[in-house]
Amino acid sequence: MKRRYIFLTLILALGIASFMASVFSPSPLDILSNWGLVSTILVSLAITAFFFEFEEAAVSSKEIALVGMLGTVATVIRIPFAAIPSVQPCTALIICSGYVFGPVAGFMVGAITALVSNFFLGQGPWTIYQMFAWGMAGISAAYLKRFNLSTRGLIAFGIIWGYAFGAIMNTWFWASFIYPLTLKTFIVAQLNSVWFDTAHAVGTAVLLGLFGKKTIAILERFKEKFQWGTLKTDLPPTLHVFASDT
Amino acid sequence: MISLRYRNKGTPVHKLNPFCKLAWAGSILVLALILDNPLFLLVLFLSTLPVIKAARVWKEWLSTMKFTLFLCLAIILINALVSSHGSHVLLEAPFRIPIMGAPVITLEAIVYGVAMSLRLLAIISAFAILTFTVHPDDMMLAMIRMKLPYKSVLVTSLSTRFIPTLFDDIERITDVQRSRGVELDKGRLTHRIRGRSSIVTALLSNSLDRAVQVAEAMESRAFGTGRNRTFYKDIRFSLIDVTTLVFALLPCALGIFMAVSKYGQYQYYPTLGGIGLSGIEWFLLALMVSILSVILLLAHVKQRVDLD
Repeated sequence: MKRRYIFLTLILALGIASFMASVFSPSPLDILSNWGLVSTILVSLAITAFFFEFEEAAVSSKEIALVGMLGTVATVIRIPFAAIPSVQPCTALIICSGYVFGPVAGFMVGAITALVSNFFLGQGPWTIYQMFAWGMAGISAAYLKRFNLSTRGLIAFGIIWGYAFGAIMNTWFWASFIYPLTLKTFIVAQLNSVWFDTAHAVGTAVLLGLFGKKTIAILERFKEKFQWGTLKTDLPPTLHVFASDT
Repeated sequence: MISLRYRNKGTPVHKLNPFCKLAWAGSILVLALILDNPLFLLVLFLSTLPVIKAARVWKEWLSTMKFTLFLCLAIILINALVSSHGSHVLLEAPFRIPIMGAPVITLEAIVYGVAMSLRLLAIISAFAILTFTVHPDDMMLAMIRMKLPYKSVLVTSLSTRFIPTLFDDIERITDVQRSRGVELDKGRLTHRIRGRSSIVTALLSNSLDRAVQVAEAMESRAFGTGRNRTFYKDIRFSLIDVTTLVFALLPCALGIFMAVSKYGQYQYYPTLGGIGLSGIEWFLLALMVSILSVILLLAHVKQRVDLD
């Protein structure tokens, strides 16, 4: 709980300071007008904040094992498709796990997928943005639960995240390597990858449309088996995993 | 077959403390993002090459760089097409695009694009060292030591560890489905996708069962009960490691100093600044290169000491 506030304060302070930097122009704060650096720091702070959130949400080994395995499956289905740009079947699985297991687990599955698959595909400054983008896909999917979800809704959500993922990655590209940072250059940088993003969006939508419901059903079944979240038994907490088997 | 990009080649660079390599790559990232001057960025990129040579990862590095060149091309193209702030017009399009106006290609924009490509190359080259010479387990261990949230790191290393197992699972499930008569490589695209999905759903249920087993195994080993965690493998710090770490962090400090005092900056727009550097800037450039290459020297010293 406490750590969440530390990170919120840090993120806020950095945000305010970077606005102040341009007001008091010739000052040591000018370093903050380096947007590539600022956005990298902000995104890594946000990711670390979510990691601390998971630290408190994961009370026992079953959460750790579940999130780890879901991340592994998502990674395993990402790697073989890496040769074809932007066909990312893992996005669909991340959305399904976020939907079933809630925002924290959804974020973790997304972030772990990006981090671990890049051990195989190559780490770089883009890793944290991918962690962030897929993490956000997982988080937002958790809020779909509030609506009565149809296959059509899932397809729409897949299309949205196909493009949103590209938009987040392009924003990194734009802030770090393009000058000047204006609306015009922003739009061009976004259009740069529009075909790849379309492929990503269509792929995710097709996968979610065909197998979304089925995957969610599988995950729901295991959620019951795992008793994720509240568990009302008289057993001591360490016995939860075994309790769910009986 | 898919495998980790890491190979233990036993070079001094591979044997370096993972912390030092992390700090070194982090320093290059910070320097690359702070510096503007194309000469500084070029030198920064070049200073990663000796380390790659010492680590004997040329082949892997080249394959990474091939992919990066496309990104570089995109950077140069976008900057050249979008930016109309330069004063030396090389080419002016005879037509107009509704929102953008007539595209103008200026010398300044091209030079800026090239400089930004150098920035990207330096960053990717530095991170390639991490990917190729630090084992994921060591990376995780370093993360734990840096007091990053333990459970998240554990999830990551658990996930990394299970990837080969899951690839084996895929092969087994594929064989099973084939023997059941599921046609994976024939028919229309939708048919094929359905065939593949029968593998993925089986893989998913199978791995979730595995997750239950992992949780039970962790529980039976009393995970999360002890206060002081012990590690089977640990990263030890010798005097040389500490020295290397200091030298790996120094460039970062130097970069912040240069950013605050406005050295290593360069004027691209509206007219390119002069290429000449002032005396202090030459000195800073030389200092940066020498600090960045000290890591190689120390790596050799460490190997020497470890052998003794």
